[in-house]
Amino acid sequence: MEKAVRKERRVFMTGNEVVAWAALAAGAVHMFGYPITPQNEIMHYWRRLAPEYGRGFLQTEDELSAGFTAIGAIIAGKAAFSATAGPGTILFQEPLSMAEMMRLPLVLVVQQRGGPSTATVIYSQQEVTLACFGGNGEGMRLVYSTASHQELYDYTIKAFHHAWSYRFPTLVLGDGYQAKMREALIIYDPAERGWEAIPAEPILGPERIQGGGRPLLHLRNAFSVEEELAEVLREHLDDFARAAPELVEYEFTGEPGAEILVAAHGIVGRAARAAVEELRAEGRPVNFFRAITLRPFPEEALLEALRISGGAMLVVESAVGQFGRMARLAVAGEPLRSFKTLYRPGVGIAAEEIKEAVLA
Amino acid sequence: MRHWKVVAAGEGGQGVQAMAETLALAAYRAGLNALYIPNFGIEQRGGVSLALVQVSERAIGAPKFRTASLVVALSPRSLERTAGYLGPETVILYDSSLVDAPRISDRVVGLQSYDTIAPEAFAERISYHDQRMPVRAAGRGMVALPASDLARQRLHPRVFNMIILGAVVSLTGVVELGAVKGALEEKLNRRFRQDPQLKEHNFQALELGYARIKETMAV
Repeated sequence: MEKAVRKERRVFMTGNEVVAWAALAAGAVHMFGYPITPQNEIMHYWRRLAPEYGRGFLQTEDELSAGFTAIGAIIAGKAAFSATAGPGTILFQEPLSMAEMMRLPLVLVVQQRGGPSTATVIYSQQEVTLACFGGNGEGMRLVYSTASHQELYDYTIKAFHHAWSYRFPTLVLGDGYQAKMREALIIYDPAERGWEAIPAEPILGPERIQGGGRPLLHLRNAFSVEEELAEVLREHLDDFARAAPELVEYEFTGEPGAEILVAAHGIVGRAARAAVEELRAEGRPVNFFRAITLRPFPEEALLEALRISGGAMLVVESAVGQFGRMARLAVAGEPLRSFKTLYRPGVGIAAEEIKEAVLA
Repeated sequence: MRHWKVVAAGEGGQGVQAMAETLALAAYRAGLNALYIPNFGIEQRGGVSLALVQVSERAIGAPKFRTASLVVALSPRSLERTAGYLGPETVILYDSSLVDAPRISDRVVGLQSYDTIAPEAFAERISYHDQRMPVRAAGRGMVALPASDLARQRLHPRVFNMIILGAVVSLTGVVELGAVKGALEEKLNRRFRQDPQLKEHNFQALELGYARIKETMAV
């Protein structure tokens, strides 16, 4: 398979283009997709670039099919992925649930749009709950919430590696702004940053046949006995909990004695960071926390950040408490001096608004 | 250098997105941090097209912002659409062949111009009947440029947006005009090779807009 990115270089492109390049650079071999704004250009770029690098693309009849065809390829040992948004993310819950149950490394890029239903094609952070807990299960997924094109590139590459290493479905959670905006980033050959080939291998197939060399695998998503299911889930949940400390990622800046902690994720994290920097420049001690993994959630890090910040927190997101609930739960039991929220469902948040909310 | 926050708005087809994208690309090429985001709601299929560009030496935060340092309004509706981005420091560049300057006439305040926020009832829509609309904005600096007229009379209607872009470069000084030409060449490479006159017109338009603003500012 030909390398898509050999030399490190600075580029200026849209986030959708970034995702296509990242998937190529990571060594993904196939995309299955169904169009929906604002992720369409991931498909467009991938479809245009894939043949040049010996990769494949199939447009399916809907998102359910995109998810299940990707699962088929994955079972055959191919690093396959898809991308979607909004109502597409809802349809994706069924393949995602199957991937959770069968521990299949399905990679999905979500560019959040307004909801519920068709709502807007533009932007939101309203797909957090869907991304983290959308299935009829326990949310055993890795979810990366990116805040810049550099992160879109870095975490899309990471998503493939971690999906195949830990065998949980993995989502890169972007949004319509990230999808459509243009900014600079460095693209690179992942091998030069220590990422070898994606550890993809056939999950079922001839080598699994008795005497084929690898242990037999009983891959199931249906159980007839309650206890049997519980036993399998226990294992999966233990695996997830064990992996969590290795997987959680976040950004924190701050010092003891701050008046408040501003917590956000994704692109809103950028506005929050800018607001915090401006406030500090004006002499206000304000701390900043941005969750990068939403599953597993950086619970301990947030709790520690809150303690450093004297128990006062402002949660900011372009949704009504989808991130806020996870943040609140992470610090449950901790005495809070104040818990403020700036919730703007489906609407972008500017640094100015966050400053006002801190000062209010 | 200040952190420039630019909102450009125009009718679909006026080339607002191309203009904004070229500005951002030029700034990126010049080694600055640049972020461009189109407003891509349903209006992309007709109506006002809106683009946001930020240029800074420092890292850029959120793609959207509340108050612009420069608003570029290319049609009367665009001006209305961008009203929310105006602050006391906002400079407004508008196409004076399509948009009228504000004039507020009433017995109490007399005949005034730009600097006062006109209660809507006070604003006299002086040219309502010929589809021109007064600016009702509160920006401190108003810069008029008859870009569409200039494009039509001197060059080609298609390069109207490049006259505006030349003016933006002149007003902000974020990049050299040469960087914008370079960005344009990068973007339109193939089309420029097919049609050398297109390149010439585009570059002339940039220079024209640039020079017009320099002259205006010198007065």
